[in-house]
Amino acid sequence: MIRCKNISKIFNVNKPNELTALKEIDLKFKEGELVILKGASGSGKSTLLSLIAALSKPNVGEVIIDEKRISKMPDNFTSLFRRENVGFIFQKYNLIPTLSAYDNIILPLIPTNPNEKQLHKRIDELLKTFCIEDKKDVLVKNLSGGEQQRVAISRALINNPKIIIADEPTANLDAKLSLDFIEIIKSLKNDATTILIATHDPLFFDLDFVDKIVELKNGEVIDVSHS
Amino acid sequence: MFLTPETIAILILDCIFIVFAFFAFVISINIVKKWDLNSTSSLQYSLEKKAILAATIIKYIFVLKLPLFMFFVFTADKISGVITGAMCAAGVVNSVEFGLWLFVFKIINLFVFGFWIALHVKDMQDEKLSLTKLKFSIFLVAFLLLIIEIAYEISFFASLDVDKIVSCCGTLFSVASASSFSVIFMIPNNIIITIFYATFFLYLVSFFLKSELFFFFSNLVFFIVSIISLILFFCTYIYELPTHHCPFCFLQKEYHYVGYLLYVTLFIGTFSGISGSILSLLKPHHSKSYYKVSLFFNTLYTAIITAYPVVFYIKNGVWL
Amino acid sequence: MKINHYLIGFAVSSLFRRGTKSLFVLFIFTALIFLLSSILFISNSIKEELNLTLDSLPQIIVQKLQAGRQTNIELKRVNKLLEFQGVQSAVPRIWGYYYFEKAGVNFSLVGIDAYDKQYKNSFANIVKNVNFDALEKTSSMVVGQGVKKALSENYYKNYFNFIKPDGDFIKVPIASTFSSKTSLESNDIILMPRSLVLEIFGMDKTKATDIVLSVANPEEIPTIAKKIKNLYPDTRVITKSDLKVSYQNIFDYKSGMFLALFVISAFTFFMIIYDKASGLSSEEKKEIGILKALGWKIDDILQEKFYEAFIISFVAFISAIILSLFFVYTLEAPILKEIFIGYSRLKPSFDLPFILDVQTIFLLFFLTIPLYLAAIIIPSWRVASMDADEVMR
Ligand SMILES: Nc1ncnc2c1ncn2[C@@H]1O[C@H](COP(=O)(O)OP(=O)(O)OP(=O)(O)O)[C@@H](O)[C@H]1O
Ligand SMILES: [Mg+2]
Repeated sequence: MIRCKNISKIFNVNKPNELTALKEIDLKFKEGELVILKGASGSGKSTLLSLIAALSKPNVGEVIIDEKRISKMPDNFTSLFRRENVGFIFQKYNLIPTLSAYDNIILPLIPTNPNEKQLHKRIDELLKTFCIEDKKDVLVKNLSGGEQQRVAISRALINNPKIIIADEPTANLDAKLSLDFIEIIKSLKNDATTILIATHDPLFFDLDFVDKIVELKNGEVIDVSHS
Repeated sequence: MFLTPETIAILILDCIFIVFAFFAFVISINIVKKWDLNSTSSLQYSLEKKAILAATIIKYIFVLKLPLFMFFVFTADKISGVITGAMCAAGVVNSVEFGLWLFVFKIINLFVFGFWIALHVKDMQDEKLSLTKLKFSIFLVAFLLLIIEIAYEISFFASLDVDKIVSCCGTLFSVASASSFSVIFMIPNNIIITIFYATFFLYLVSFFLKSELFFFFSNLVFFIVSIISLILFFCTYIYELPTHHCPFCFLQKEYHYVGYLLYVTLFIGTFSGISGSILSLLKPHHSKSYYKVSLFFNTLYTAIITAYPVVFYIKNGVWL
Repeated sequence: MKINHYLIGFAVSSLFRRGTKSLFVLFIFTALIFLLSSILFISNSIKEELNLTLDSLPQIIVQKLQAGRQTNIELKRVNKLLEFQGVQSAVPRIWGYYYFEKAGVNFSLVGIDAYDKQYKNSFANIVKNVNFDALEKTSSMVVGQGVKKALSENYYKNYFNFIKPDGDFIKVPIASTFSSKTSLESNDIILMPRSLVLEIFGMDKTKATDIVLSVANPEEIPTIAKKIKNLYPDTRVITKSDLKVSYQNIFDYKSGMFLALFVISAFTFFMIIYDKASGLSSEEKKEIGILKALGWKIDDILQEKFYEAFIISFVAFISAIILSLFFVYTLEAPILKEIFIGYSRLKPSFDLPFILDVQTIFLLFFLTIPLYLAAIIIPSWRVASMDADEVMR
C-alpha cells in the first residue's frame, strides 16, 4: 500500500525562483491497483512519482509504502528499496545507449551480485516475452524506438517489482506501439503489481482495467475518480 | 630531516591523511551536533550524504594504514643499515625517545580505525542508522589519536640522526637496559609460560561461555600477554639464542619474515574478538561469527608460537 | 565477501565507453609511475655499485698535504706507520688520473707490484690472473673494459702512447683487459708496473701517491687515524667511513632533488586527476542518475568508481614498471642516467647492475596509487550522492 501523507514539494526554497511543485497532496493507493496520473505539462506528475520512488524528498509530509517511511530513509536505503520493490519506465527510456540491450536489462541487479544461472533464466524469459531475443547483444543506440521501449520495460521488470512507475511511457511511441504497451500493462496488472502511470495520453483514460485516475493541476489534486 | 624515498612516501601519505581526516573530522562535528534522522530538513539530508563521504575517507585511511604499518617497520629496518649501532627496526625506533610511543599509537590506531569500520558496517545494515552519532563521536577521538601518531611520526623522521650512535636491540631488550621496560625481564621463564597458557586457557573458557564482556577482556589480555611473552620467551626460540629478545629482528628475511605472520594472525584474532564483542554489546543481534574467526586466529597464533620451542626441543633434546 | 564480477565488468565497460578520458588518465598515470620507478631503479643500481665499491675501499688512506694540496708522500713513512699498534699492513700506492683528451675522459693509472700486499681484493684477483712478470718485462698494461672501449674507438687497438710531463711519448702495449664485480669502479682503471706509472707521471722514486693501511680491529680505526695525524701534522687521514659519508651525501643530494621534482609532479598529477574526475559530462551525470533510480546505492556507485580506479592503477602500474625496467636495464637509461651521476662525464660509461626487490615495488605502490585514489574520493562521492530525480525530467 502506498500512502502520501500531506506532502508538499518546493523547489529552490527561499530563493527568488521558489516554486511549489506539489501542495499538500494526500493520496492512498492499494496493492495491485492501476493508477493513472493525469494533468497538463508542469502540473507535478513527474515530481509526485519521484517522491513516491524516493528519488527526492518532500519538504513537508511523508510517503509511506508498506509501513516503510521511505521519505525519511537515508539515500542508501531508498536505493535498496527501489532495487527490491520498484520498476521504472521513464519518459525517454533512459537506457544507456552505449551498452547492449542485455547489459541494460541487468543494470538494476548488478549491485546484488546475482547468481549467473538464475539471472540468465530470468533474462531469457523477459527477452522472449517482449520478442527481442535476437537484439540481445545489439547496442541500444542502434535499436528502434519500439525495441528500446521493450528493453526499458524488461529492465523495469527484471527485479520482479511490486510497484511499477511509468512516466509518460507512450510519449515517444506511435499508435500501434502504444496499444502494445497497454497490452503489456494489462498482463502485468493481472500479476497483482501496483502500477502508477503519469501520462496525458488519452488512450489511458477510458481503459476498463484502470482502478483510479488522479488529476493534478498546478501541484494540487483536483480530482480522483474510481472506475 | 631524514629523507629517503621511503620516508618521503610515508610523509606524503601522512599529509594526505591529515587533510582528508580533517574533512571527516569537520563532518563528524556537524553530525554529532546536528544529526536528527527524523528531520526532513535539507541540512539533515546533506549530513546523510556527507556521512558517507566521511566513512569513505576513513575506510581509505584504514585500508592504507594496514600495509603502511608493515611498510613502516620495513623502512625502519632499512634505516637501521645507515644508523650506527642499530641492527634492526628496534634500534632505529629507540634512537628517538618517543619511538616506543609512536609504535604504541600506531597499534592503538589500527585497532581503533579497524573497530570504527566494523561499527560502520554494522551501522549501515540498519536503516535507522542508530549508531551513526556514536560512530562519529568515536571518530572525533580517533582523529586526535591519528594526529598524535602523525605528529610523532613526523618528528620521528625529523630527529633521526645518522651520526648518533644508538643501542642495538640486543641491549634494548635485556635486563641491562635502563628503561622501565627492563624490569619485566627479571620474570623467570616458567612464570611467563604459565601466564601465557593460562591466559589462552581463560580465552578458551570465555569462548565457550559466549559472554561478550568476558570475551572482550580475555582478548585484550591475550593480546598484551602474547606480545610480552613473545618478547620475553618465545622469540629466543625463533632466534635460537637465549639472549636475543628483539620483537623486530624476526621480521627480517633471515627468519623467513615469520614475524609478519605472527603479528597478522595475532592482530586478526584479537581484533575480531575485541571489536566483535563490543558490537555485540551495542547491538544484541550481531552475528556471532566473530567468535569463530577470533578463535581460529588466536589458536593459530598459539600453535605457531608453541611450535618453535617444541621443534627446538625435538631437534636438540634440550631447552634454551 | 564475494567479488562482484558484474560490477567489475561494468567498470571495465564504462572505462571503454569513455575511451579518450580513460586513456588520458592512464597515460599520465603511467608516465608518473614510469618517471618515479626509473629514478628508483637507477638510484638503487648506483647505490649497489657504490656499496660494492666502498666495501673494497681501504680502511685508512694517508695523504700528504702541502700548501693545502695533496702531494706525494715519502716512502720511508711506510715503516713508521707499520709500527702503530693494530696496523696490519701499510702499502704505498702509486696512481693518478691521466686525461685522455680525444675521448674527453680520465683514466685512473694504478701502479702495482706483485710482491706487495694488494690493498684491494679486486686487484689481487687481477694480479693473480695476469702474468705479472711478463707485464713487468714487456712494460705493458692491463686495462678495464671501459678504457679498452675508449681506446679502440680512437684506433688504439693494441697499445697507447702516453705523454710524459716533459713532452716525450711512451708507448705501452695492452696485455689484456679485465672486468670486475663493480663496473663503476673498474671501468676507467689501467694497471701497470709501478715503474711505468712513476715514469708517465714523472714522479720521484722515493715517493708514493698515498699510503693505505689495513687495521685488524675496525673499531680502532678512529684512534689510529688520530695518532697518525698527531705524528705527521702535514697529513690528511681519510677513513672508510669518511668516504662513505661523502659519497652518500653527493648521492642523497641528487636523489633528494629528484624526489622534490617528484613531489611537484605528483601534486600536478593529483590536480589533473581531481579535475578530470570532477568534470563530468551531462551524459555521465545522467547515467549516474539512471543507476541510482534503478536501485544503485551511493556505496555501489563509489565501489564501481573504485573498481575503475583499481583497473587503471593496476594497468598503469604494471606497464610503467615493465617500461622502466626496459628503459633502465636494456636501454641503459639514456639522459636520466647522465643527469643522475654528475661525474659520468669524467668517467667512461658503466653498466647498471640489475636489482629489483619487493621493497622498491612496495615503495612505488605507496608513492603512487594512494595518491590517485585520494584524488578521486571527493569527486566520486559528489557524483554518487547527486540527486537522482533529474532522470525524471
Ligand atoms: N529540480 C527542479 N528544480 C526546479 N524546478 C523543478 C524541478 N523539477 C521540476 N520542477 C518544476 O516543477 C514543476 C512540476 O514539474 P513536473 O516535472 O513534475 O511536471 P509534469 O507534470 O511531469 O510535466 P510534464 O508533463 O511536462 O512532464 C514544473 O514547473 C517544473 O518546472
Ligand atoms: Mg513529467
